[in-house]
Amino acid sequence: MTLAAAEEAPPTLFDTAPAAPPTIYPTRLRPCHVLIGVGFLLIAATASVLIGPADLPAGAVIKYLLNKLPFVHLHSGLSTTGAIVVWQLRMPRMVLGGIVGAMLAVAGASYQGVFSNPLADPYLLGIASGAGAGATIVIVEGPALGHLPSSALPPAAFLGAVVAVVATFALGRPRAAERSAASMLLAGVAVSAFFVAVQTFLMQRSSPGDLTLVYGWILGGLSTAGWGQVELVLPYVAVAAAALFACRRLLDVLSIGDEEATSVGVRASRVRLIVIVAATLGTAAAVSVSGLIGFVGIIVPHTIRLIAGPSYRRIIPLSLLFGAGFLIFADILARTVLSPGEVPLGVVTAFLGAPFFLVVLRQARTLG
Amino acid sequence: MRRPRATIVFVIVCSLFVTCGVSSASPARSAAVDRPAATSPAFPVSVKSGDGTVRIPSQPDRILCLSASATQMLYEMGAGNQVVGVDEYSTWPANAPRTKFTGDESSAEDYLYLKPDLVIFAFSSGTLIQQLEKLHIPVLLLPPASTIGDVDSQLAELGTAAGHQSGAKSVRASFEADIASAVHSAAGAGRGATYYLELDPTSYYTVTSGTFIGAEFSLFGMRDIADAAGHGSQYPQISPEYLLKENPDYVFLADTICCGATSANFARRPGFSVLKAVRLHQVVGVNDSVASQWGPHTMEAFVSLLARVLRQGAPSS
Repeated sequence: MTLAAAEEAPPTLFDTAPAAPPTIYPTRLRPCHVLIGVGFLLIAATASVLIGPADLPAGAVIKYLLNKLPFVHLHSGLSTTGAIVVWQLRMPRMVLGGIVGAMLAVAGASYQGVFSNPLADPYLLGIASGAGAGATIVIVEGPALGHLPSSALPPAAFLGAVVAVVATFALGRPRAAERSAASMLLAGVAVSAFFVAVQTFLMQRSSPGDLTLVYGWILGGLSTAGWGQVELVLPYVAVAAAALFACRRLLDVLSIGDEEATSVGVRASRVRLIVIVAATLGTAAAVSVSGLIGFVGIIVPHTIRLIAGPSYRRIIPLSLLFGAGFLIFADILARTVLSPGEVPLGVVTAFLGAPFFLVVLRQARTLG
Repeated sequence: MRRPRATIVFVIVCSLFVTCGVSSASPARSAAVDRPAATSPAFPVSVKSGDGTVRIPSQPDRILCLSASATQMLYEMGAGNQVVGVDEYSTWPANAPRTKFTGDESSAEDYLYLKPDLVIFAFSSGTLIQQLEKLHIPVLLLPPASTIGDVDSQLAELGTAAGHQSGAKSVRASFEADIASAVHSAAGAGRGATYYLELDPTSYYTVTSGTFIGAEFSLFGMRDIADAAGHGSQYPQISPEYLLKENPDYVFLADTICCGATSANFARRPGFSVLKAVRLHQVVGVNDSVASQWGPHTMEAFVSLLARVLRQGAPSS
């Protein structure tokens, strides 16, 4: 590339060594971005509770939900079954979709920040392969372990994810006192490969019925969502999201480099550890109830970055809103595209994710 | 000379691995089942296989059967004493020489210690079949049946291949009579009744009436609620909401072994307490294999159970 061409080239998302003086990006959260995020989430959530194979009247569903508010007394006209569909099936599914989507998006953004890697996603350090191996062990070896029911899947997946990330930490710790991002990434690759091998070995020995279960879990979904799962996952995700939210300014400091961060009094290794632990804990909890849902942790933060700029003081809170809305919207598609059949949620996010991201990237380049 | 510790450990691990591999692959050959003598047709014979026509030069006496359904057929027709190995899913009869094979091995070489002269698959990659053909071992592919007529055809082909045509013919006549009797005993109780057959409690995968087990329900005039959700797939995924909307008369849980599903924990799932099948105690746990095996033994047992459920209600479990 010639010098002239380089000067004319539009800025890219992750220029790490700019020759020109660093651009100062706005960091304050703009109200219009928040309003758009809240609006998107509200539209997705409303559509999610109104749409479904049971064909319930929209007015009756809205009245039924308003009736849940204090001091509101409305006659919805919903049958007992209709009320069960809304309150025990659609609502927890929508809420769980929002929680999982928000967590995956925020974790993705945080991983991209601490590793300075645009391709980093919540599964980078072996969470997906560890959770997958945990789930597969329960499915394939379940009968030998005493007919474990399917309720053992979430704890097994959670445990598998945590074991994989702990192994990554142990292996990725260099001899020097400081943890380096590169050694951690390489350890993540190795640990992922190991757990994928374990999972593949077990799948190769499993029956066709077990394979259906394993693939069903790998492809992700919210069809069995209930309030119990919401209660199970919410504390982990709330703590993790709060920790990442609190670290958003430090992530901005890390983006200028570890040495520079240290020079302004930020201990990069400690921040990195806190962010990775929080993102890992939250992601492990999310995938334990939803299975492996890909792309959310990449698509959402990148789209926000293109719209609102690279500051994590904007990306983290907006990822919470847009991540939740995105996964709720994807779940609506998952249960309507082949209605009354369903499509695995992970398939929908992959179908939506890649082209959507390309369109946003193209538009940003045109505008920029 | 002192050996390094790592080398010793390596040797021990390798030895254990080899020992376990040999012992696990060896069939637990049990006492032969008393069977009528083979009624051998004039060999060689040509039989229809799932991937074309296969020529069998002489009556096989070392059959390796890697299909649980074909194992049932072979033993029912009296060819059990010709079987030297069956796959790990062949649970009937109990004295069949079970191995750790699944039919999905990476190399045909694994089978050679049994010296088979006929290998039977239900599913197989072309590579395994090609390897066996290069070794001049005939391979019979009997793919999953989707109708009861398919079972009849497979019994006929297998009878010819094993040299038990008359045995196969009597099995066909017997299982057709048993099925007709079971359907008759239900006295039309299932006609128009709706059902849901669960394969997986975590994703709600099910079957349509276009599958083999769907055909068994159709014998009784029952209607599958998943037919509308198929969209070209015989194994669609549905949602709990759709299940509540359709409110089936009967629920059959074919995930009792894999996933510990029971009528009690089914009823405890969110919202399911209002389902008609739950309220009328018409949630029935069945062996997982009913959805994946089409052998005469599995089929007769399931059809008899179905007739009994329709006549008397679900067995208490």
